[in-house]
Amino acid sequence: MSELPFDPLLLAILSPLAVALVIALGLPQRASVALACVGFGLPALLGLHTWYHFPSGLGAVAASGVGGAGGYAFQSFYDTGLSRFGIMLSLGLNGISMPLFAMAGVVGLAAGLYAIQSGAERLKTYLALLLVMQAGLMGVFASVDVFFFYFFHELALIPTFIMVGIWGGRDRHYAAMKLTIYLTLGAMLSLVGLIAIYVKSGAQTFDLIALRNALALQPLGESVQSYAFGLLMFGFGILVSLWPLHTWAPLGYGAAPSSAAMLHAGVLKKFGLYGLIQIALPLLPLGAAKWVGLLALLAAVGNVLVIGFVTMAQRDLKQMIGYSSVMHMGYAFLGIACLSTVGAGGVVLLMVAHGLSVALMFLLATSVHQRTQTFDMAEMGGLAQRAPVLAAFFVAATMAGIGLPGFANFWGELSIFVALWSFSKLFTVIAVAGIIISAIYGLRAVARVFFGSPSAQFTARVGGQPLADLGWAERLPALLLLGALLAVGFWPKSISEPVNDALQSTVSVAVSES
Amino acid sequence: MTPVQNALLVLLVPLVSAALIALFLRRRGGLATTVSVTAAGALAALSLLLIFGGDAARFTTSVEWLRLGDFSLSLGFLFDDLAALMLFVVSFVGFFIHLFSVGYMHEDKARARYFGGLSIFMFSMLGIVLADNLFMIFIFWELVGFSSYLLINHYHEKQSAADASKKAFIANRVGDFGFLLGIILCYATYGTTNLVELRALGEAGALSATCASAIPLLLFCGALGKSAQMPLHVWLPDAMEGPTPVSALIHAATMVAAGIYMLCRVEVLMVAEALNVILWVGTITALYAALCAVVQRDIKKVLAYSTLSQIGYMVAAFGLGSTLVSPDGAPELVIAAGVGAAMFHLTTHAFFKALLFLGAGSVIHGCHHEQDMPKMGGLAKKMPVTYATFTLGVFAIIGMPGLAGFFSKDAILLLAYQNNGAVFGTLALSAVLTAFYMIRMWRIVFFGEARSEVARGAHESGLAMTVPLLVLGLLAVVGGYGNIYGRLAGDLAYLIPHSEEAHTTILVTSIAVMLLGGGLAWLLYRRPDSRDDAIALKSPALFRSLVGLQGVFDSAYGYYVAKVQQRFAMMLNFLEKVFLAGVIVRGTASLVGLVGLGARALQTGSLHAYVYWFLLGVVLLWAIVSGVF
Repeated sequence: MSELPFDPLLLAILSPLAVALVIALGLPQRASVALACVGFGLPALLGLHTWYHFPSGLGAVAASGVGGAGGYAFQSFYDTGLSRFGIMLSLGLNGISMPLFAMAGVVGLAAGLYAIQSGAERLKTYLALLLVMQAGLMGVFASVDVFFFYFFHELALIPTFIMVGIWGGRDRHYAAMKLTIYLTLGAMLSLVGLIAIYVKSGAQTFDLIALRNALALQPLGESVQSYAFGLLMFGFGILVSLWPLHTWAPLGYGAAPSSAAMLHAGVLKKFGLYGLIQIALPLLPLGAAKWVGLLALLAAVGNVLVIGFVTMAQRDLKQMIGYSSVMHMGYAFLGIACLSTVGAGGVVLLMVAHGLSVALMFLLATSVHQRTQTFDMAEMGGLAQRAPVLAAFFVAATMAGIGLPGFANFWGELSIFVALWSFSKLFTVIAVAGIIISAIYGLRAVARVFFGSPSAQFTARVGGQPLADLGWAERLPALLLLGALLAVGFWPKSISEPVNDALQSTVSVAVSES
Repeated sequence: MTPVQNALLVLLVPLVSAALIALFLRRRGGLATTVSVTAAGALAALSLLLIFGGDAARFTTSVEWLRLGDFSLSLGFLFDDLAALMLFVVSFVGFFIHLFSVGYMHEDKARARYFGGLSIFMFSMLGIVLADNLFMIFIFWELVGFSSYLLINHYHEKQSAADASKKAFIANRVGDFGFLLGIILCYATYGTTNLVELRALGEAGALSATCASAIPLLLFCGALGKSAQMPLHVWLPDAMEGPTPVSALIHAATMVAAGIYMLCRVEVLMVAEALNVILWVGTITALYAALCAVVQRDIKKVLAYSTLSQIGYMVAAFGLGSTLVSPDGAPELVIAAGVGAAMFHLTTHAFFKALLFLGAGSVIHGCHHEQDMPKMGGLAKKMPVTYATFTLGVFAIIGMPGLAGFFSKDAILLLAYQNNGAVFGTLALSAVLTAFYMIRMWRIVFFGEARSEVARGAHESGLAMTVPLLVLGLLAVVGGYGNIYGRLAGDLAYLIPHSEEAHTTILVTSIAVMLLGGGLAWLLYRRPDSRDDAIALKSPALFRSLVGLQGVFDSAYGYYVAKVQQRFAMMLNFLEKVFLAGVIVRGTASLVGLVGLGARALQTGSLHAYVYWFLLGVVLLWAIVSGVF
């Protein structure tokens, strides 16, 4: 067979990288922009392609016996010269990673389109860095090999730091430093945990399927599982802003340029949750059982309750979105703590939904900023009279964020609440109380920015200047995200089926065996 | 077309209308109006096929919509007599309110948004009506809250409208907090939230869990929010900031009745203790809101408090089903009578309250958006159709014999009389007050001299507005008769309580309270003053205490929000910023700086420094991990 096999996963990773490289080599601006559209568009299309062509019933095959493809589709292997360490570039998607892979494509395209119209200084460098980040994001979810899973995360992380440092807003240097220290620390801790699994399993491989098969036959000892899970929980926890290790998030997002914030908060942050569900829960069920009590406590009291109230106190729109995202991560941790298919499945649904909705929020917040020249909500007001379309999008995004049915987030939250009841009634009450808290800060922000009459400061700053409503360049990426939120919101089975299928064969099997 | 397809069409037609308007017709108010009204008309016609389709058109069906592990959530229809009755109320009253809106909102620049909102509301409300399980009810329940938020906020440039919409949504969310917990508890306890399966479990006697009274009480929280019962009633008077037809549709006829409908849906889960709580919440709300209504100046606020009070009657009626005593003297749980009376009053109330709100809308429209009643007066001659139909509405609500409200209110009073003396007394007192504030309003608005320029220049509204008034006026007259209501309600009509021996007592009582309250108001407001209320002149202390009573809840919640909740949030924010971000983080930062020896290089944001540092760390850690373990 001489023809080159079509590998959508490799293509989705390499195309943004290649485009970034070409742009960095000194392509003229206009050609760079056109090419960047391809670099962002291709992963999105390929993401949708994998979603559309994803075979059903993979999990059942995987559950029926050890070995085989382990519930993965679109598999391919590339030797990287590290195979004697058990490292292979092994790509594939199972029911858990496929929805996230597709979501990463969509959010990446929206962030890319928004960056192109942003008119940022040194646009070419900005786009090139975003493209590298996008390649890393696609790689994270496409990797079956734990080493590359980690490698791609770093590939996406490094551009984030640089973008915050160069294109960031207020306090960008401090924010970049803090972001770097925190996220590196989190990544380090989780790396130690991953290496511990590698070493202790004795399987001499980083391949997740092989590791899973090996550990299914001979599970790790309880104490090894316990410290490995602890390392992963706190390492990934920092990356996902587990309270009280979250303080980098609002600061970092407050300073980050919009497209970087969209990609990081929307997609890259999900790396930690994804790692917990895809790696930690199936490989370390005994360790998980020991730690989930603490995890749930921190998430319920810290992320949901404390941060929920802190979010209410924010005046800065971007900081408020940052905090609200920390709060929603609390739901995700709670879902993981349930150690059940419903809980973990709810988390995957929520990850997809939150990725789309928080990216949309950051996008719209920046569009608001362009019109008000401030993020201080006390200095806005009445914007809906002058920008009704922007207001409509913002209301929709807020409603998605606070879990209104019809948007994707609802299904994730609901499943987590249902799962949580059998884990802890008290935490369920706290988590469900979150729907009141998020309604309060969400609607308050909408009202302060868009409704009523304009504040004195707003009138003084913007005054009689003409103020354009959301143009098509901004509307297109926003529509993309909103459309995806509604699509999953109306038809949750589009992703819940593969998720359920995959979880049935990994998490629930692992947990029930423990 | 099968009944299932028919029901699906009923549900989807308004959704399609809303989507069309949102996507394409934002700037084309006229076309948006046509689309929305046509959709409302089409679904009313389609629903007729279902309602009068007989037993062949009573069905249940469902489709699994989400499955994770052993948790399965379905969307489906349960179309029984209860749903048919509610469908009639929603689709018919809804259609006439759409029609009325064509006239009322004619000059509004944001008509398209308004009609889009009405369509999305119809979709959400019909979802509740047709739903066959509690999760599905919850989904549409939340959507109803959202559409109400949109429509209250129609005049969003007004701060009061923005605040009112926010308040409505949050108050509803507080109720939904309990509602959702109740649903989850029900699912966890009985393994299903499907209404048919729950009924089957109930008939098999399998619904006796330890948390049996927690489930209905938590579910009732949802009704507290949506049906604006105490203590979550505060949003409804403020919701009058929305356009008047919205008040008629959402905040009088349909959405606020959804709480009652939901209670009737989950009737099988009820236990005596829960019903007792429900009974008293309804009774107290009925009295409290009637007291508040007495001192209102704003024509819509009177109707808002009146709605609270009437919904209180329905809640009380539902709760009264609990304590019926069986012939042999042992207490027996017979909720059916409560359901029959509550749904009967819900239906007649939807007719006459929608009529009253639309009549008020016609008055407001005629007076160039004046809502202050003392500035009106003498409108009977200037607006004859509005006057005539409004009068029918007033007589219906105060229980004039022969009109719809008379029959349904008597059914509730009878139930109270048979079961609970204290409740009977309170409800009778509320009925006196109802007659009082309605006749007061009627007298101030329509009789005497015109007391302002706008009232002198008032004019009758156009056909689009008067035709709905006439139709609803007709329904407010005939809606209570057995051969009309019986055809609409099917078997539910047999559940309405009857009693031969108590019949005269109830009849005499209800006529007496009507004459007492109405007569008093008629005398007191013979010469209304444009500045001061007659009660304020006669007895300032009474007036002040009634006004104070009305403000109690708002002051308490205002205090809580500003002084407790916000301060708590600020305090946590301070701790977050100072303690977490300052002390711990800087401490960690310096620690990491020491360990990693590259902290300064990092500050430069240099890629090289970071990569070297990162690789060094990886190698070190790898060595440590493989060596130590």
